[in-house]
Amino acid sequence: MPKRRIRIGVVGLGKMGLLHSSLLNTFQDVELVALCDRNALMTRVCRSIFSSTAVVVVNSVEKFNEFALDAVYITTPISSHFPIVKDLYAKKTVCNLFTEKTLASNSSQAEEMSEIAKKIGGITMVGYMKRFSVVFKKAKEFLVAGDLGEPVSFNAYAYSSDFLGLTKDSKSSVSRGGALKDIGCHIIDLAFWLFGDLKVTEVTSCDKIGDSEISASFTVTSPNEIAGRFDVSQRMLNYRMPEFGFSIECPRAKLDVNDDRLRLTLKDGSQKTLYRHDLHDNVPFWLGETEYHRENEEFINSIIDNRMCEPNFETALKVDRLIDQVKQRAATL
Amino acid sequence: MNDEIHKLLLVGDNPFQGISHLSQEQARTRGEVDVSPADRAADIVVASIKNGANGFSFSVSDLTLSILRSLRERKSLDAISLYAMVPYAFEYVRVATQTGTPGLVKRFAKQVVLTGNLRAILEGLWSAARQDPEGFVNVYLSYELSRIKSAAGKQAKLTSVLLNEVIVDMALALNFDWLFKSLIDFLSKRGITPGFNTRNFPYLVSKFNEWEINIEEALIVTPFNKVGFQMNPSREKCEEALKNLAKPNLLAISVLAAGYLKPSEAADYITGLENLKGIIVGVSNEQQASATFALFKERLRI
Repeated sequence: MPKRRIRIGVVGLGKMGLLHSSLLNTFQDVELVALCDRNALMTRVCRSIFSSTAVVVVNSVEKFNEFALDAVYITTPISSHFPIVKDLYAKKTVCNLFTEKTLASNSSQAEEMSEIAKKIGGITMVGYMKRFSVVFKKAKEFLVAGDLGEPVSFNAYAYSSDFLGLTKDSKSSVSRGGALKDIGCHIIDLAFWLFGDLKVTEVTSCDKIGDSEISASFTVTSPNEIAGRFDVSQRMLNYRMPEFGFSIECPRAKLDVNDDRLRLTLKDGSQKTLYRHDLHDNVPFWLGETEYHRENEEFINSIIDNRMCEPNFETALKVDRLIDQVKQRAATL
Repeated sequence: MNDEIHKLLLVGDNPFQGISHLSQEQARTRGEVDVSPADRAADIVVASIKNGANGFSFSVSDLTLSILRSLRERKSLDAISLYAMVPYAFEYVRVATQTGTPGLVKRFAKQVVLTGNLRAILEGLWSAARQDPEGFVNVYLSYELSRIKSAAGKQAKLTSVLLNEVIVDMALALNFDWLFKSLIDFLSKRGITPGFNTRNFPYLVSKFNEWEINIEEALIVTPFNKVGFQMNPSREKCEEALKNLAKPNLLAISVLAAGYLKPSEAADYITGLENLKGIIVGVSNEQQASATFALFKERLRI
């Protein structure tokens, strides 16, 4: 008897929805069943382009109940994650959920979502795909191995040119949740993954367009006294693609890592650089970046094996909490 | 490489667009030190042609259209074939980031209207009324062809129009065979070779076989390099798929693995491959253009 495949629905047909749908459709253990978007234009366009496939396009999440789904991906704007997740759980549509980052608009929503997920007991994941990048994974390996000594401090950055030159009237950044939610969350999640718990100590700057920050700088500390600094900006010059990176000071070496490479500088000044090329950065199917494939693979395998997935709702909640801390302190600047 | 075929040695536009697949740091540095506005980029294309390149491969953007205009003014387009990649995904993703996907659709519709291409406008309206995806593809291709022709002139040799890898790979994954078939049909009727850029070459071959699309009708563009960079699922699987092609219709990109390999190392690997139609290489200055293209011209025996 053929193995039953994991039946998936995807909410939100923007670029992330289409990216996940595409990747999932290449997995042998997955059946992409239904797509949903509330926007009438997107629904019409997608119904038309998917008409030659078995995938159904609907305009309301409620219709997902008709498809006996095993998991749902939520790739809508951040502000809609909370109501959609609550609705899916309340209507018992599904218990396994993947949500694009960030988990919610604020930490109280994220906490509620995390609590419900715990009660329901399904597999959850939040789309912090940078953890699946070969270079950041290598950095984690170096730190865990302990040869460099316990980290003392770090500087982290998330830069893009996405909103360079936009005026105060622009609503674009607002719709994406601001720089911290849009790009800053990735390095915050990586920092939790690399260094453990973190607490905000000071917000040194925060520039806004409307209610949304376009750039922010702040410092953190960990229980074992690692001091960190974050710089996040969506209006940097010459950042064609968003870039994320860390410079980590350890007793025996300095580790510089970004999306493309990892550089280890020993105390005697000698350096070793590893690029993606050196780290077997191939996947069964490439789309966007290799990390997206690995991320989806981890979620699907967690469902198949019925094991916990990382980063899950509870892990991702920490990111929302830290962003709230930054925003609260920024309000007093 | 097979010596019988007419080999292609194309100069690519990635360095002009500020792209480095090795590191964004490198692309930024290059941008600061050696900014390549249209005329500067056109100088590099001309130097590449003088040293053995026989074509120019570019993503259709405002910058590359300006480069075409500059080359046209110098009468340098007469000597080369053009290979246009559409869409310039970066720009579309950027607009989608700023305005959302519906905003992107609206902006595109506005651009088609602004070209004044009456046929494309009418076809677009008709496709919208019928919700016909193939019609939309035709409207889009008409729009891009009109932009290229307007910049390069009607006499320019537009040999191939290649679909960007993000669209190709998404369409492969979602089983949109109609997209490939309609693109092949539309371009072939106009005497233009349809092309597909992919990061999943063996997957594409397998899907084309399943959909009974004759791969020989198309030009395939995909990474090939000694270190297996961007060759998915693996270098070995890509080499095997290349060997099994009935006809050399593949253009290798990333042969230098984005600057990770020296040109001589890259040439050693590439010349050992069977079934290649040619390669696309990007260079950032005239000196690099002469050294790199002279080397590849000699090693590929063009």
